[in-house]
Amino acid sequence: MSFTFDGRDISFAPGDSIAVALLRAGIHPTGGGCICLGGDCPHCLVRVDGVAYVRSCQTTAAAGMVVESQAGDPPLPESTVQAPVEVRTVFADLVIVGQGEAGRRAAADVSGEVLSFDAGRGEEVIGIYAGPMVIVRTPAGMVHARCQRVIVATGAAEEQPICPGSDLAGIFTQRAAEKLSSAGIDLGRTVQLTQHPQRFVGEGHVTGVILEDGSRLECDSVIVDLGLHPRDALARMGEGLEIETVGEAAMPGELPPPPLTGTVCPCSKVEVSDLDSVWDRGFQEMELVKRATLAGTGTCQGGVCLPHLRSYLAARQSQAPSAFTARPVTRQLTMSEAAAGFDLAPFRRTSLHQEHLRLGAIMDRFGGWWRPWRYPDVDAEYRAVRTAASLGDVGTLGKMLVAGPGAVELLERLYPCRVEDLKPGGVRYALLLDERGYVIDDGLICRLSDTRFFLTFTSGGASFAEMWVRDWAETFGLDVRILDRTMSLGAINVTGPRAKELMNRLGVSDLPGYLAHTQADVAGIPCRIIRLSFTGEVSFELHHPVDRSVELWRALEAAGSDIDLYPHGLDALFTLRLEKGHFIVGMDSEYDSTPRRLGLEWAARLDKADFVGKQALLRTNLIPLNKRLVGWEMDGPAPVEGSILIHGDAPVGQVTSSRFSPVLGKTVMLGWVRLEDDRFPEEVQVDGRVARHAAHPFYDPSGERARG
Amino acid sequence: MNEFVESKVRLRWPEELRSSYDVVIVGGGGHGLATAYYLATRHGITNVAVLERGYIGSGNSGRNTTVIRANYGVPEAVRFYQHSLELYQRLEDETGRWIMHKEKGLLWIAHTEMGLRAERARAALNQAYGSDTVFIGPEEIKAICPQIDLSGGGRYPVLGASYHPRGATARHDRVVWSLAEGAMRGGVEVHQRTRVIGLQVDADRILGVETDRGFIGAGTVLLALGGQVSTIAAMAGLRLPIRTHPLQAFVTNHYQQGLDAIVASTELLFYASQTARGEILIGAEIDRQPSYSYRSSYGFLSSCAGRALVLLPFLADLKVLRQWTGVCDMSPDYSPVMGPTDVQGLLVTTGWGTWGFKAIPAGGEAMAALIATGVVPSLIAPFGLDRFVNDRTLSDRGSAGTQ
Repeated sequence: MSFTFDGRDISFAPGDSIAVALLRAGIHPTGGGCICLGGDCPHCLVRVDGVAYVRSCQTTAAAGMVVESQAGDPPLPESTVQAPVEVRTVFADLVIVGQGEAGRRAAADVSGEVLSFDAGRGEEVIGIYAGPMVIVRTPAGMVHARCQRVIVATGAAEEQPICPGSDLAGIFTQRAAEKLSSAGIDLGRTVQLTQHPQRFVGEGHVTGVILEDGSRLECDSVIVDLGLHPRDALARMGEGLEIETVGEAAMPGELPPPPLTGTVCPCSKVEVSDLDSVWDRGFQEMELVKRATLAGTGTCQGGVCLPHLRSYLAARQSQAPSAFTARPVTRQLTMSEAAAGFDLAPFRRTSLHQEHLRLGAIMDRFGGWWRPWRYPDVDAEYRAVRTAASLGDVGTLGKMLVAGPGAVELLERLYPCRVEDLKPGGVRYALLLDERGYVIDDGLICRLSDTRFFLTFTSGGASFAEMWVRDWAETFGLDVRILDRTMSLGAINVTGPRAKELMNRLGVSDLPGYLAHTQADVAGIPCRIIRLSFTGEVSFELHHPVDRSVELWRALEAAGSDIDLYPHGLDALFTLRLEKGHFIVGMDSEYDSTPRRLGLEWAARLDKADFVGKQALLRTNLIPLNKRLVGWEMDGPAPVEGSILIHGDAPVGQVTSSRFSPVLGKTVMLGWVRLEDDRFPEEVQVDGRVARHAAHPFYDPSGERARG
Repeated sequence: MNEFVESKVRLRWPEELRSSYDVVIVGGGGHGLATAYYLATRHGITNVAVLERGYIGSGNSGRNTTVIRANYGVPEAVRFYQHSLELYQRLEDETGRWIMHKEKGLLWIAHTEMGLRAERARAALNQAYGSDTVFIGPEEIKAICPQIDLSGGGRYPVLGASYHPRGATARHDRVVWSLAEGAMRGGVEVHQRTRVIGLQVDADRILGVETDRGFIGAGTVLLALGGQVSTIAAMAGLRLPIRTHPLQAFVTNHYQQGLDAIVASTELLFYASQTARGEILIGAEIDRQPSYSYRSSYGFLSSCAGRALVLLPFLADLKVLRQWTGVCDMSPDYSPVMGPTDVQGLLVTTGWGTWGFKAIPAGGEAMAALIATGVVPSLIAPFGLDRFVNDRTLSDRGSAGTQ
């Protein structure tokens, strides 16, 4: 069995880690540095099958692996095909990290469901998070272990030598040497050290050691046994959680002698002289030394250097500094391993999604939904609405039933318009304000009976609206029932001068008047028919059980096949509604849009007893207005939405909506303009052309067509 | 030695606290130190103490994702951040210190018609108010950042972007140190490990601050701290319109340079850049739950990695090195709050949310001018606390890089 290392075949024994196999072949994985075989240092990092920063001592060798040395920073991959990573979520009473002696003893002592992980088995715990949740990287994929309690028994790391020559090959920790010896690897003539030497000697590979007293020993390998330091990053990371640390990981650990010369942090290549340099210039806190030198910020995250850094500072301060913050991750995982199990939130589809696809629509996402943006014949969409009949899928609207003895009071206090005087069968357009008097949504109030109302909200605002209405009902302590029907009702807007005819053809003779609603069967499908107009033409919104949407849509299509019926998507709708001057919450309105700023003072009845936002409006209405949303028109094609209004040389506002109106033969726009002394310029430049203020609605200002 | 070891800055620490200063600045982060720096260098005001409860830069100044940009969505913010961006461009010359400033260009990617509309509007507004942002299409995006998957994994197609060529990064710590050194050189005292535990006010006038090392009198006190600002302000009876949320980020190990631009997507809610040292640095939106907690979550790491891989799949095999958390002071309108308060002599610079780092020089310069002259500079006048009373909020949620 073999793998390749920099193109060379390396055979390995079963169970060998990559590092052991390389050492067996006489190769140091990184060329030099004290080998620990414990996952604590950066001296065995290699690239495996293209993935850099793999600890070869923690990775079992497998046949066919392509292993490469990693000298310096590895290149970024050009492109990567992501292999799916398996994720298992497991539950236990107790998770034990580490199956050394302390970990095994802990496991024997407890009852309940116990899970244990051990890096020696290739199970690397990358972090302990709130929960507690222990995240483990295993050869079979990621494990997310949720538990009541964690025992950290991660043992101790062996101290690394800090002196010139520490980057030579042939230096091993005591435990590494034991592992190599039991793997049958001969280290040749060895020297055993229990104290930091003055220096290691050799070129590339160690050939001798000069001890503290100046004496020199010749050797093929050096084994260092300098002391142990708790491997406590996980324990420190988990402070405040249900965590117990046992065994060597819990021992205080004795600081090494202060480093005098040599490399302290092999990951970031920080020398003792670098520490001296920043210390002498005032960087005299552990974190400042770390940040100024980058010591401890590399791959091993302080695994090698932390004890030495603490010792360095301890020698210069009255007391030893505590360790720097232990942050995840303690063992590295790839971004795709991190992302494993994460799903992007799905976009919602209406009950007519397949119909739109069948009709060749280009779909786009809007307000969390997939919606038809355009159908193949864009001009026909607009033309059908203005001259014949058209269908629009408005199933995305927020829809809600509010009923109960407190319903009237709830809506009176929630909406800035009057509700009490609305008769059953009546429909009213309403803004929704927050406590600051800012418009947060708009929609319709349909009164069904004395105590029942059907409400609609914008597509993007539906989920917020449900929370909003429920919160206020709770706050007011009113006796109401609230049922969100956004997902259970579909809605189709039938609009155009021949909409009535279409409805008649489908068996509805008694159609509601403008701003009225009724319940009736359309093509045999029970519908709440709401008469309003967003497009500017006669419009019926048919709210119906979501499982009948396709049937209803097709019946409408069939009934209109001889009158140029064509559906319309969002793009056409935006033109149609703009001709009517209707604003769209979030597109034309801003966070601080009061009814006054939107030119909708009439929609907030300040003579009402109270409503959410009234107090704010009473106060802010006394403040001079600084900007308003107003209508503009200009000749020629529509400028980009977001274009700047220029007056003289100065920007005075920004266009929010801008469309060329086929029916008017000019461009119509909504845009914010700054007010000074309650006035704004009637004529501005947009896109280098003149635009004039114009009252909106631009189209059919008297509303005859909509009421028709 | 690695090439990034700080080799020039010299920090001088005073031993003793004096009993009073003309100016006490609470918070030894970027904004506090920049204010001290400009007080000393531009106004000759040096009887100043900066009080820091930890070490300098230990809060959000040392935790942010180091992006410098001015592509904001309201005129007042574009002007302010553009000025800050220009001050940053000159900061290395001015301080003589290497802050690793690097112009990279920043892409804000749009994936829907509504996204395109927003980025076109951003470009138009930025140009009108003096910041260089242009709208570009997918081919230009690909030329600027060849690693982007234009199909967006099939779900988030890249339709266009606003491109902000002056977008840059700098090393956050080095900004802090350069300003601290400059302030110290001018005579400002910076006291680390000094915690403010009270504010003394008499008849609506600030008298000084109580610290765990004793009382310090001051004619002017500036609250320039992050995280606990609303609790400290409350000590003077002030209620700030601030809510504090955690914000997390992570870096990968270091790799050779190759991701040249800063890439962000408001819909996917992440941004990524490569640090001078070669780490890929990725951040995202604030945690929804207000909290002062610095504990990182795996949910963040997982979802942020997942979202970044949608646009930048070439990062899939990169090894995550470290994740961390800062806490962001969010204002209701996603714009900062700078200026006087109802307590005479007590000033605030807060509401720095996720956009504090890029504002450090301009914010410090303006607050220093305010302290020195008593007049609110016109650049920051719109950002006063009074805007919430006067119905003059500056809503810029779409530019915060968060939601």
